[in-house]
Amino acid sequence: MTPAVAVADLRKRYGAHQVLKGLTFQVEQGEIFALLGVNGAGKTTALECIEGQRQPDGGSVTLRGKRGIQLQNASLPAHIRPMEAVKLFAKWKGAKISSDMLEELGIPQLGKRQYRELSTGQKRRLHLALALIGEPELLFLDEPTAGLDVEGRIALHRLIQSLKGRGRTILLASHDMAEVESLCDRIAILNRGEMAFLGTVPQLTQAVGRRYHITIRTPTGEETYQSQDITQTLLSLLEGYRSRNIPILDLKVDRGTLEEHFLLLAKGETT
Amino acid sequence: MSAFWYGLQLQCRLDIRSKSLLITCYLVPLLFFVFVGSIFIALDPQAKQTLIPHMTVMGVSMGALIGVPPTLAEIYGSDIKGMYRANGVPLWMGLVNTVLSALVHLLVMSTLLCGMAVLLFDAPLPDRPLTYVGGLVLLVAVSLALGSVLGLAIQDQAKLTMISQLFFLPSILLSGILFPLELLPKALQQAGMVFPAFWGGRLLTGVASWPQGALPLLALFGGFVLCCAILLRRMRRR
Repeated sequence: MTPAVAVADLRKRYGAHQVLKGLTFQVEQGEIFALLGVNGAGKTTALECIEGQRQPDGGSVTLRGKRGIQLQNASLPAHIRPMEAVKLFAKWKGAKISSDMLEELGIPQLGKRQYRELSTGQKRRLHLALALIGEPELLFLDEPTAGLDVEGRIALHRLIQSLKGRGRTILLASHDMAEVESLCDRIAILNRGEMAFLGTVPQLTQAVGRRYHITIRTPTGEETYQSQDITQTLLSLLEGYRSRNIPILDLKVDRGTLEEHFLLLAKGETT
Repeated sequence: MSAFWYGLQLQCRLDIRSKSLLITCYLVPLLFFVFVGSIFIALDPQAKQTLIPHMTVMGVSMGALIGVPPTLAEIYGSDIKGMYRANGVPLWMGLVNTVLSALVHLLVMSTLLCGMAVLLFDAPLPDRPLTYVGGLVLLVAVSLALGSVLGLAIQDQAKLTMISQLFFLPSILLSGILFPLELLPKALQQAGMVFPAFWGGRLLTGVASWPQGALPLLALFGGFVLCCAILLRRMRRR
């Protein structure tokens, strides 16, 4: 199948600072793909170059299908009403307004409230509605849930999943690991403008190895240990507590989150 | 309705909802007119002969130089610009719609001022209404072009408020509408010529006649429009 997005050797420099150092990847049609990275890793610049908002210094970007873009920092005139913004953007795009899409995002319910009176979540929904005008096959979302409360985040995740269910290709930039873990088919991790990882979430876990967290609670407090060899570490820890005659009140073992794996890669501590 | 006309109509509505534009384009110029008009006529009854053109120049300058730049800075100095770009709305749309909407509001304000001058002060209407309206439209357009340069060039609202005042006050003080220019030193008289209010005042009072009197305004208009085009182009490149 032809990829929805093909990026080859994408490069961008701001003055002496090389922000993107030759990114190459593809996003398949109908896929949710995430660009990850700590602040300054180059993910927003990469996204903007791919969207066509910013001119890259080198490399190529090939997009298939109509684009819809939701920016990380977006705003509208303070006194505009949601439906006025929808009509204005639909007219400029020469597209029809899908009342189903607006209903799904709860835009008509915002009524005659002005943009300045909307909550962060309502603004995000409106921005997404504007990006979805014209039924784009390819959707760019930059930090789509930044600033949202848990409820708003869950609702937006549900919506993104439903868009994927309808065949949309979604390329998002995020630093919210839970979001990426639950939504995305594949991820690309950027580190100082270079690709640190490209693959699925299970592949990432495999790449950085299995890292366990052991938390032991005793009457004197809680201790946390990290291990790659869980059996050996547990045995020696338990032996240590027994020999020192310290009773164990609780013991927890977990494999850590994607966030930890990501941070290790992003900081370049693991390859 | 086309995207452009819908955008223009919408901008007019947004301007009415925005209290700041209502204040700078209607409330303050009209209150200032009533206040200053009363003083002028009390000091010199002959002042009513030029009351309408002089107060119109003041009101137009206030609306264009103080009211419009913050609206432009709101669009071009904020994330609205990016939002427009990302959704296929051309960068010039915000500027053109804001300016055309302000043109309508300032012409309405000028008409109200004219009516109030007749009713409150028995001021005479312009002798040649068509020439007057032509001069007024030109003055509003040039003043808005200067306001647009300010709004596009300075995107920090606090700085913009200060710089707008730096253009508005000399514009009024050096235009000859508050006191005769002959009272000023030569250098200041010449400095006033860089502002549309100076030439607009001459055109509306009939001191300068068409078409020669309109030429300096047209030249200023061309210069300001060129500046706007350069600023927009720089913004698009960024």
